[in-house]
Amino acid sequence: MKRFFLALAAFAVSAVLSAQEYTGGVKGTVVSRSDRQPVENARLTLLQGATELAATVSGEDGTFQIGNLDDGMYTLVIVAPDFLETQVQVTVNDGYVKNMFNLSLSPVQRVTELDEDSFAAFDMGDSGYNDNPTILFGSNDVFNNIAGYNFSAVRFQARGYSSESQDVYLAGVKMNDAITGYSPFSLWSGLNEAMRSKETVNGAEMSDYGFGGYNGLTNIFGNADNVRKGWRGSVLTNSSLYRLRLMGSYATGVMDNGWAFAANVSARLGGNDWIDGVYYRSFAYYLAADKVFGDAHKLSMVFFATPGQRGAQNASTQEVYDLMGDNMYNSNWGYQNGVVRNARVRKTNEPIAILKYDFTPSDKFEGNVTLLYRFGKNGYTALDWYDAQDPRPDYYRNLPSYFFDVNADMNRNNMLKYAWAKEVWGHASDFPELTHVNWDRLYQVNGIQEGGRSKYVQEERHVDQRDLNFAATFKWRAGSRVTVNGGLNARINRTEYYKSVADLLGGKYFVNIDNFAERDFAALPYKLQNDLDYYMKNGKAQTLGVGDKYGYDYYAQVRNVGGWLSGKFSFGNFSAHVGGRLGYESFWRDGLVRKGLFPGLDANGNKLVVDGITIEPTYEADGSVTTSYGRSKVSRFLNYAGKLGLNYIIGGTMRVYANMGYFNDAPKFNQVFLSPRTRNSIVSDLKTIKTFSTDLNWQYSGNGINVRATAYYTTIDDQSKVMSAYDDLQNAFSNFAISGIDQRNMGIELGFKVPTYVVPNLSLQGVLALGRYEYTSNPRMTQTVDNSAETVMSNVLVPYWKSTILSDGTKVQHYVPSTPQTAASLGLSYNYDYWFIDADVEYFGDSYLDMNPLYRTDYAVAGLDNYITDEEVSYMTMQEKFDPAWLVNVSIGKSWYIQRKYQLGFSLNAKNLLNNRNVKTGGYEQTRLVDNTVSKERFYRFDPKYFYMAGTNYMLNIYFRF
Amino acid sequence: MKKTLIALGAALMALASCQSLKEEWQPVFTFGEIEPEALTLYTESTLPGFSGNFVTIKDLKSRYRSGGVEISGNTWIKGQVISDDRSGNIYRELYIQDATGGIDVKVGKSSLYSDFRLGQWVYVYCDGLTLGAYNGMPQLGAEADNTTTNEYETSYIDLQAIIDQHVFRGAYADPVSPVVVEEADIKAALSSGYTGELWGKLVTVKGLKYGNEIFALLYPNSNLSHKSSNPENRVFLSSPQNDRDRIPGFDYTWGITTWAMSKAAYIGYIRSGKWDTAEVGSGSTRYGPITGKPKDYLTDGITLQSFGFDADLPYKEIMIKYATANYVSHYFTLGDTSIQVRTSGYAKFSDEKLDERILDGSATVDITGILSIYNGAAQFTLVDEPSISVKVY
Repeated sequence: MKRFFLALAAFAVSAVLSAQEYTGGVKGTVVSRSDRQPVENARLTLLQGATELAATVSGEDGTFQIGNLDDGMYTLVIVAPDFLETQVQVTVNDGYVKNMFNLSLSPVQRVTELDEDSFAAFDMGDSGYNDNPTILFGSNDVFNNIAGYNFSAVRFQARGYSSESQDVYLAGVKMNDAITGYSPFSLWSGLNEAMRSKETVNGAEMSDYGFGGYNGLTNIFGNADNVRKGWRGSVLTNSSLYRLRLMGSYATGVMDNGWAFAANVSARLGGNDWIDGVYYRSFAYYLAADKVFGDAHKLSMVFFATPGQRGAQNASTQEVYDLMGDNMYNSNWGYQNGVVRNARVRKTNEPIAILKYDFTPSDKFEGNVTLLYRFGKNGYTALDWYDAQDPRPDYYRNLPSYFFDVNADMNRNNMLKYAWAKEVWGHASDFPELTHVNWDRLYQVNGIQEGGRSKYVQEERHVDQRDLNFAATFKWRAGSRVTVNGGLNARINRTEYYKSVADLLGGKYFVNIDNFAERDFAALPYKLQNDLDYYMKNGKAQTLGVGDKYGYDYYAQVRNVGGWLSGKFSFGNFSAHVGGRLGYESFWRDGLVRKGLFPGLDANGNKLVVDGITIEPTYEADGSVTTSYGRSKVSRFLNYAGKLGLNYIIGGTMRVYANMGYFNDAPKFNQVFLSPRTRNSIVSDLKTIKTFSTDLNWQYSGNGINVRATAYYTTIDDQSKVMSAYDDLQNAFSNFAISGIDQRNMGIELGFKVPTYVVPNLSLQGVLALGRYEYTSNPRMTQTVDNSAETVMSNVLVPYWKSTILSDGTKVQHYVPSTPQTAASLGLSYNYDYWFIDADVEYFGDSYLDMNPLYRTDYAVAGLDNYITDEEVSYMTMQEKFDPAWLVNVSIGKSWYIQRKYQLGFSLNAKNLLNNRNVKTGGYEQTRLVDNTVSKERFYRFDPKYFYMAGTNYMLNIYFRF
Repeated sequence: MKKTLIALGAALMALASCQSLKEEWQPVFTFGEIEPEALTLYTESTLPGFSGNFVTIKDLKSRYRSGGVEISGNTWIKGQVISDDRSGNIYRELYIQDATGGIDVKVGKSSLYSDFRLGQWVYVYCDGLTLGAYNGMPQLGAEADNTTTNEYETSYIDLQAIIDQHVFRGAYADPVSPVVVEEADIKAALSSGYTGELWGKLVTVKGLKYGNEIFALLYPNSNLSHKSSNPENRVFLSSPQNDRDRIPGFDYTWGITTWAMSKAAYIGYIRSGKWDTAEVGSGSTRYGPITGKPKDYLTDGITLQSFGFDADLPYKEIMIKYATANYVSHYFTLGDTSIQVRTSGYAKFSDEKLDERILDGSATVDITGILSIYNGAAQFTLVDEPSISVKVY
């Protein structure tokens, strides 16, 4: 009602004013103070005294103009979502239009830089699981702004979608990994300044930069003139990841000669307070240049990389954490010569070069073409050993539970050893050689081997990409009511997967044989060869030095091409968009070495003869020869999708909109090959993934109030995945190919920020994410092992994957894991005179552990007696639900202008002030069964492994800009 | 403003540094060369808690009592390593010997040859360990598992902390030369029972003649119970104890010509049909040949249930389905003394064929390995791939 009268008064005043013709006015561009980017939809209200004279909204480029003003002094009030309300005094003289140039607004969001660094590198080992974070962006969205930061600590995934579904673009090119689909934030980690400028849409909304999926699209501009002008330096210290980050950037902005240059460098160094062995030694550099030719053409060149290494954190069982008295225990490292040494180190150097051409011939049309190339190396080290004891300190046979269990059927009953093991793990500081990696022992073992053959080495598992991308997009304002967007894209990706020797650990050489195969085929040396061609040529296995490739070596080849088109139609306050996408994707495996276990045929299609033995090939279901070498069958898929969006603006402050989409997507390379390390075999009955998603949203933004409420419903059908886990019962890597996974995600999102009206500049803010993400099908599974062509289980039903009702009526519930299905945050936000203080309380609940398919089969449930009881179903198929968690976070920040020239500021984020150290953020079930029971009637599960969140931690960032 | 700036600087300095320099800024290995700590090899003077007296292995073995006995009294033994598990025929056991005898120290780790070289001196602090026996052969291990069946008198010393307390590596030395033994020596040892000096020692036996029979105990479903009380899951490849029960002309080697059977070889033997007459069962409980099915033989519903869907498969197919590597004991004779040579299916030489001349009896063989007593008979364990001296006669 108040707004109504205000509007009425403004209308009356303007009506009076309009009766006179004045030539004076005020114009300018509203920009963000943090990155100098235009702020769209800022509301500008012109006051004279207490009387509102005029109001307008800034355009897409941040510009505004208010005309027809008499000479005089005015107050211009600027309000925009997620920015501090700002007032400036304006004097109009002599009937001129006063140009205010850039009016900068300070963001109200925390000066926190959420990026891939905010997530510890979790080492999922050989578990077969992945853990790729989802990062929520969108300072213009109240939900994402609060949830993106506050919920990152628990690895919150918006609407329960996996990170693969989040489309991340760089300079108009979709950067999601070609093989896995994972979002690629690590590629520019540490280049926060260069990559700050971005635009995000949520859910199934349409974007100008790409068609997008159902989990939002973020486009990072990345070119020189999007880096904020001037020098900027920052020093950051962080207690939960790395000790120090130094960052500097410089950008010229677009100069008179049409050039713009930008550079950004950073170093992230040191360990942290919480996880021993996790360290950073990461660097980053970014160089970019833009050249504007006339009004219509711009060429952008970008080159950046983030070379470095970081130690990873490992998951352990709760037994280990409890014995160590530390849920942050990391089994990956040990001391050597007083130096911390981590066995699992990610080493990356993947430069990216971008060439982009923007074409803007008129106000009605803009287009761009981008060529992007990614190359370099990406490796992950791990210990490898040949015919030697398992060096991992928390190997299950080193733990008390291996020696005693109260359940007599487990056949673990040696109290003496149990007590000894408890003594070791309970007094870890007295037994560092047993509770951490004992590097000295590894060197000593290698040192006494005849001839210097290493028994232990540190391997590096490479995933080296050559990724060439082409993208072209355009935007055509066909009329006042119609805007058309579209684009074409193509990708050629060749990713080489291989292992190399990173360190011989004091030995002189390693040998390229498959030690898993040796157990079964010791009498047939050719079968042990990782490189049979080398063996056939040289009569012996290849000996290896540092840097040599071994084990496996193959290309994953991916090709895709596609196009999309969308139209936006505006009719007053109502608008609609409709769009479609069509694409074609193909991929295949190209084996670069011939493995002795799966040698296939020779170049002429004849059977191989080795050591006088004619090798009989094995065959796939389609009759083709199983082989490790050469090109596999090509999998081809036609992709398509459609979207519809409706949008209605009510009174300039309220918006109701809905989106709907259907997506038919190809599975990814890593979901298709049964055992790509060893052979070309693919999952039978491959299907595309079908997704239907819809959401309904209500948004209010005005008078300092920001609210968004969303309800969503999504079904994702026919998903498949392949998990690999080392199975010490089979003494081999075991592969579980699961297909036909359906899930349903539905829920509501609410985000709000409202003034308290009690204390000036104090707002109440909060978010609520209430979801229910369930599996709705029972998939099928095929189990194979790396060292045999025979299937262990072939296309068996996994009958206990989705929730199950027992015969007594009780229900065993199963949910989509890896994110809280209930998450809430409530807090206060104070902003005044460039200070901000935020304090929030968060709640996370209904979070579930990742499930393995093996525990949900009849085989595992029935046990050795092949008899299924409700108790066995309940025990074996149970999915662990994590305890709910409460967290308190506080952020404070301030910036100063010095001599109107320099800006100095800081932000301090203190997280988890309750020091809650029992918050599980993820984990996985071990894909193993205890079968050595006394009764021989049933199996038992191995303990799952978990990751925990750090206790109280902080991040202090001090920056200086001029 | 100035104060704020100073406070900010101070806060940054404090947070970035005082959080314990020794932890956050401690050096991290980022690949390259590093000097490892030297391996500690003990001498008698550096052994922790050693009082200066060793007991001989023979004396230690003499302390054995049925059921096993825990050693006490600050007892130390020393000996040289004579076992090598590189070939896989010895697994999770370390044999050492002194001048008086040899003993199996059940160091329950795999690939012990990575830590213990042949000939290396090893000191064992025996207090707290258990001296037991397996089918008459003394062993030094950890306290037995508290199982209801009490199958074993000792358990493996498989926790590294316990190994570190009891087993100390000493100086390297030349490998021990095997003792060449004659039939008389073996007979003497057998008559001495478990205290015989030869048991656990590295020996060479010359002139062994192939006995044309083998022994192997197979479990059709290797996942099911292996207990003797479950004869429905047992198949013996053996020969009758009494000559009168022998079938004239029957091949009691069951066609096995390799030292043992890897998984692949095991499947090959099954498919060859040479075992088709082997019976399921043990002792007096005999069900029938492996070509039959569980549902043909078993009337007990619960026992039949344990085979589940496999109950309709011939045992022969079940054996293939659940195939694993299997040991084989080949019988040789030295004079009129029978000696078993037992080889693991996981030995790297398991699928090596015995020399044709040995099999056809036209040659004798000299072998080197560890001699043990097994239920009152001599048993021989090859340490490595047999570099057999075949003597044609």
